[in-house]
Amino acid sequence: MLSIPSRSQPQLPGDLAVWVLILAELLVFGVFFLAYVAAFHGHVALFRAGQATLSIPAATFNTLALITASALVVQAIVALQAGHTRKAGWWFAGAAVLGLLFLLNKWLELHHHMQAGISLSTSLFYMFYLGLVFFHFMHVLAGVLILAWMSRRCFQPRPPGMNAAWSAGAYWHMVDLVWVVLFPLVYLL
Amino acid sequence: MKYASQAVSKLYFMAAIGLFVGQILFGLILGLQYVIGDFLFPAIPFNVARMVHTNLLIVWLLFGFMGAAYYLVPEEAERELYSPKLAVALFWIFLVAGALTILGYLLVPYAGLAKMTGNDLLPTMGREFLEQPTITKIGIVVVALGFLYNVGMTILTGRKTVITMVLLTGLTGLAVLFLFSFYNPVNLVLDKYYWWWVVHLWVEGVWELILGSILAFVLIKVTGVDREVIEKWLYVIIAMTLITGIIGTGHHYFWIGTPGYWQWLGSVFSALEPIPFFMMTVFAFNMVNKRRLNHPNKAAVLWAEGTAVMAFLGAGVWGFMHTLAPVNYYTHGTQITAAHGHMAFYGAYVMIVLTIISYAWPIMRGEKAANKRAQVVEMWSFWLMTVSMVFITLFLTGAGVLQTWLQRYTDTPLPFMEVQAKIAPFYWMREVAGLVFMIGLVLYVYSFFAKGESAGDATPV
Amino acid sequence: MSEVFTKSMARNIYYGGSVFFILLFLALTFDTMGTLPEQDNRAAITPQVALGKKVWEENNCIGCHTLLGEGAYFAPELGNVYKRFGNSTEAIKAFIKSRPVNGVPGRRSMPQFNLTEEELEAIAQFLKYSSEIDTQDWPPNIQG
Repeated sequence: MLSIPSRSQPQLPGDLAVWVLILAELLVFGVFFLAYVAAFHGHVALFRAGQATLSIPAATFNTLALITASALVVQAIVALQAGHTRKAGWWFAGAAVLGLLFLLNKWLELHHHMQAGISLSTSLFYMFYLGLVFFHFMHVLAGVLILAWMSRRCFQPRPPGMNAAWSAGAYWHMVDLVWVVLFPLVYLL
Repeated sequence: MKYASQAVSKLYFMAAIGLFVGQILFGLILGLQYVIGDFLFPAIPFNVARMVHTNLLIVWLLFGFMGAAYYLVPEEAERELYSPKLAVALFWIFLVAGALTILGYLLVPYAGLAKMTGNDLLPTMGREFLEQPTITKIGIVVVALGFLYNVGMTILTGRKTVITMVLLTGLTGLAVLFLFSFYNPVNLVLDKYYWWWVVHLWVEGVWELILGSILAFVLIKVTGVDREVIEKWLYVIIAMTLITGIIGTGHHYFWIGTPGYWQWLGSVFSALEPIPFFMMTVFAFNMVNKRRLNHPNKAAVLWAEGTAVMAFLGAGVWGFMHTLAPVNYYTHGTQITAAHGHMAFYGAYVMIVLTIISYAWPIMRGEKAANKRAQVVEMWSFWLMTVSMVFITLFLTGAGVLQTWLQRYTDTPLPFMEVQAKIAPFYWMREVAGLVFMIGLVLYVYSFFAKGESAGDATPV
Repeated sequence: MSEVFTKSMARNIYYGGSVFFILLFLALTFDTMGTLPEQDNRAAITPQVALGKKVWEENNCIGCHTLLGEGAYFAPELGNVYKRFGNSTEAIKAFIKSRPVNGVPGRRSMPQFNLTEEELEAIAQFLKYSSEIDTQDWPPNIQG
C-alpha cells in the first residue's frame, strides 16, 4: 500500500519544484478557462455552433484513456514502493500507451478539423478550441515522454527513487485533471 | 579576488559607468526637448538624442554583463580566465566601435551615416534600438562571439555550477537572438514580428537569465547561504520566466498586423510574467534574512535587494498594468509605455549591474568592502537614483493616463500635439526628477573616490 | 511542512519547460506566417513602397514617431497618417517639404530632410501601404 505520511508531519508527495510547476500550469489553464467562459457568454450562438462540430464519443474515449492511465500510474507507484520495480515498469508503460492512444485519437480529431480548413483564425470558438486542445496535447505528449522514461528506468539496474515517481505521477495527474475540466467545458456545456 | 584574471572586469565596469553618465546626460536633454521643443534644434534633434540615450543604455549594460561574467566566471569555474588578453582586446574593440557609432550619430546626419557605412548593401538601420550601422552590428556579433568563446572555454574546462551554466545559456541566447537584427524584410509586419525576437526575447527572456545568475552569485557571497538552496531557486525562477515570457512575446503582437489570437495568448501569458519577478523578490529577501554571515559590504546587499524590488515593480507591476489587450488597445505607444520602460530597465538591468559592481569593485581593490564613508555615499546615491526613478515613472504614468484619455478614450479625441501641450506639467516634473537622478549618479561616481574608515571583515551571524 | 526539493528536478523543469515553450512559440509562429498574407497588405508592396521603407529607416523617423504604435512618443503616430491627412499622399509630401530648416521657436518641429521628389513619393506610398495593414482596428480613432 501507499505509505501515507503521518498527520503530525504532512509531506508533499514529490518534488517541491514540480509542485511550483503544477501551480503555474494550473494558473495558465485556469485563466484560459475563465477567458473561455467569458468569450462563451459573449458569443453563445457561435460557440454552440462550433461545439456541434466536435466529436463527443472520441473525447469520451480520451477521457477514459487519461483517467485509466492515472489509475495505472498509481499502481506503478504502489508497486515501486513495495520494491516490485519490474512490475512498476509495466504499469508505467501501460499508462504511457494509454497516453499515446489519447494522442493518436486527438491527432485524428485535429487532423480532421485542419482538413476542413479550420485554423486558429477561423473564429473565436476555434481559436479557443484549437488553442486549448493543442496546448493540452503538448502537455500529454510531455507526460507520455516522462512516463516512458520512468518505465525505462524501472527496468534498469538502478530504479528511480520515490521522489521521481511521485513527481512524475503528480505531473500526470495534473494533465489528467486539466482534461477532466476541459472536456465538459469545451465539449459538453 | 581569487584569480588575477578577474581584474579584466575593472575595465568593463569603468566603461559601463562612464557611458551610464552619458546616457543620463542625454536623458536630461530629451526631457527638456519634451517641454522646450526647439532645445538644441537643429544641432541635436530629438531622434538623435534618443538614439544616443537608448544605444548608450544597451551598450553600457552589455559592458556591465560582460564585466560581471569576467568577474564571476573564473571564481565559479575555479580557474583563471581562458584568455585575459582576448578579453582586453575585445574591450577596446567594443569601446572604440561604440564610441565611433555614437559620434557618427552626433556628427553626421543619419541618412549620411547610412550612406557612409554602406546600408545599401544590407539595410538594417533605422529600426528602434537597432539603429546601429550594419558594420557596427557585425562588430557586436564579432565581440559577442569572442566573448562567448572566452567565457565558454573557461566554464567548460573548469568547475561547472548552476550559476555559470545559466549565465552561459543567457549569454548564448543573447548572441543568437541578436542575429535577427540582420533580418529586415520590406514587409513591415514581418519586420516587426522578428524585431521583437531581438527586443522582447532579450529583455523579457535571456537577459533575465543573466540577471538571475548575477543576483544568485552576489547573494551566495554576501549572505553565506548554502549554494544548493540558492541554485535550485534560481532554476525554478528562471524556468517560470521562460514559461511565461516566451509566449508572453504575444503582448507585442496585438496591433501590428498579426492574427487576433495573439490578443488572448499574449494577455494570458504576459499577465503571469510578474510571477517570476515576485518570486525573485521573495527569494532575495528570504536569503538575506537567512544569512549566515554579516558581510561588511552593506551597499551591495542594498543593491541586491533593490534590484529584486524594483524589477518586480517596474517589469512586473508596471508591465502588467498595460499588458491586457483591452487596456493596451488604448495605452499602446503612449507615455505609459515610456513609464514602464524606464522603471523596468532601471530596476532589472541597471540595478543588477550596479549590484555586481558594488560587490566586486572593492574586492578588486584589495578590500572586502568599500570604506564606511564611501558606502554611506553609495547608499545615498542608491536612494536618490531609485526614488527619483520612481517619481519619473509616476510622472510619466500621469502623463500617459491623461494622454490616453484625451487622445484615445473620449468621444472627442484631440490631436497628438494638442494633448502634448496639455500634459506638459508632467514632463516638467519628470525633468526635475531626472535632475535628482543625475545628482544621485554624480554621488555614485564620487563614492568610488570617498575616503574613510575601513568597513572591516565579515562576521558570523 | 517538510518537503523534498531537489536541484536535479528544478533543472529538469528549467530545461524541459524552456524547450516546451520554445516549441510552442515556434508552432504559433508557423501558424502566424501562414495567416499573415491575408492581413499584412503584402500585395501592395511595390518597389516604390520598398524604397519608401528605406527612406523611412535611413532618416530614423522612428526616433520621434510611432508606426503602428511602436517607436518614440515625441511626435504623432504615422501608421494611420495617410487616412488622417484625408487619404492623400500629396498632403503627406507637402507636410514633409514644408518643414523649416531652423525649426519653430519654442516648439517641436520636424527637421527638414531635403528629400528628392522620388523619395517623397516613395515615403508617402510606404505610409499609404502601412495604413492599409489589418491592425485589429487599432488605433482607436483617427488621432492615432
